[in-house]
Amino acid sequence: MNEDISRLMDGELDDAALGRVVEATRTSPHADSAPQALATWVTYHAIGDSLRGARAVLPGFSARFARALASEPTVLAPAPRRAGFAQPGTWAWGIAATLAAVTVVGWTAFAMLDTPPATVAKVREAVSVRAAQVKPPAKVPADYLLAHHEYSPATAIQSVGTYLRAVVTQESEPRP
Amino acid sequence: MMRWSWSPRSRRRLCVAAVIGASLAAPPLAFAQEAAAWLGRAAQAARTLNYTGTMVYHHSGDVETSRLIHLYEGGQEYEKLTSLDGPAREVIRSKDEVRCYFPDAKIVRIDPRTFRNAFPALTVEQQQTLSRYYEFKRMKGERVAGLTAEVVRFEPKDGMRYGHMFWSEAASGLLLKARLLTEKGDVVEQFAFTDINLNAKIDREMVKPSWSAAPPDWQIKHGAATEVVRHDTGWSASKLPPGFMKIMEGYRTLRDKRYPVAHLVFSDGLVAVSVFIEPLSTTPVETGSSQQGGLNVYSTKTSEYLVTVLGEAPPATVRQIAQSVGKR
Repeated sequence: MNEDISRLMDGELDDAALGRVVEATRTSPHADSAPQALATWVTYHAIGDSLRGARAVLPGFSARFARALASEPTVLAPAPRRAGFAQPGTWAWGIAATLAAVTVVGWTAFAMLDTPPATVAKVREAVSVRAAQVKPPAKVPADYLLAHHEYSPATAIQSVGTYLRAVVTQESEPRP
Repeated sequence: MMRWSWSPRSRRRLCVAAVIGASLAAPPLAFAQEAAAWLGRAAQAARTLNYTGTMVYHHSGDVETSRLIHLYEGGQEYEKLTSLDGPAREVIRSKDEVRCYFPDAKIVRIDPRTFRNAFPALTVEQQQTLSRYYEFKRMKGERVAGLTAEVVRFEPKDGMRYGHMFWSEAASGLLLKARLLTEKGDVVEQFAFTDINLNAKIDREMVKPSWSAAPPDWQIKHGAATEVVRHDTGWSASKLPPGFMKIMEGYRTLRDKRYPVAHLVFSDGLVAVSVFIEPLSTTPVETGSSQQGGLNVYSTKTSEYLVTVLGEAPPATVRQIAQSVGKR
């Protein structure tokens, strides 16, 4: 499953496998925990972001955020009514919805990011496997490219232009 | 009597109704024939016109410019492609061979030319495949390289193929621009003429290689020693995307390979996917996916064989085919 998730992130997953992954992100082995596949998906992205140098969220962020949010005083004073201002009922619901969203996101991030060390190790391993997969494999033999173009219908209308694909690979050919 | 005479207005309505009815009732074959006719015309123009032009090739964030000269003489095609930027490269395609010159690396590759134009010979079955898996759309005309171009689009009906957009010169049908698109509409690669001369006076001198003979310190690499030998290889791919049919099967002798390589080609009428199977050598090989412009490649190995699949299809499609290759 982890490998399939990694392929999904690379856009390499076929339709049948995609269905399985999507299903796995919905179903959880334990009622009280987030689905493992979803956790893997989030963790892979978090790791991918950090590898790309994007500012990663520090471990324990969600817990600290939740504590900080809980200690914030709640302002109960009614806002002064102004012309054109929305009815209190409307904006109150808006705030409630925002808070609910923050809580849900916070909980999800908590569940995803503050994972036990064993999972983190597993994910690291999976990521290194993925890195190996993404690494360009051996240069495609020019023989193969030329042989393919002899039969590709595209060559018939694009003429010698398609050979550009084949000669591009030769750039790094070592000088004798 | 008046009841039976048609007013001009009702006659017009009837005509409109008839046209709508006819287009709804038209069998898919009519669309298939239109698409096939368009491709056939483009292929014919690419083969028989004399032209010189500058072609820009965009792929994976890179841009390369080349000079292209095409001559049709005595029923034969002669072509010369010279890169204008990056490392110097020249491709000469003549009657029966393709030569690639790499002056920086001092290498010349010589391969036999076996290519036969595929489109004019699309079978009825292939035409129907085209219309079943692609939607053929005529778009609004545009200008390309200073010429009026017709624009057509082959839009895939499933996620197993790339979309194609073609700009062809209105008068001759010659392809001026070709674009390969993902399902999301991202451009995978694009070939486009930035200028083209369709009335160029071209002689054989102009399509000769810049190096009449390879200088003595150059390395000459001979590609496939022989044309492919058509043969039942015993191999097949069990998970081909719908519409892909085998158009070739045989063995090839390739440079640096001790054994002949099995080569199978599958096509949906617009693109092709090649499957190469060779015995696993003792030298370690890397497997996995890679991309070469619009070509996706996936290689995988079993305990005995190395399977390499490449074609103008999305990574998942190429991978799916590669993983389904087995003995019949």
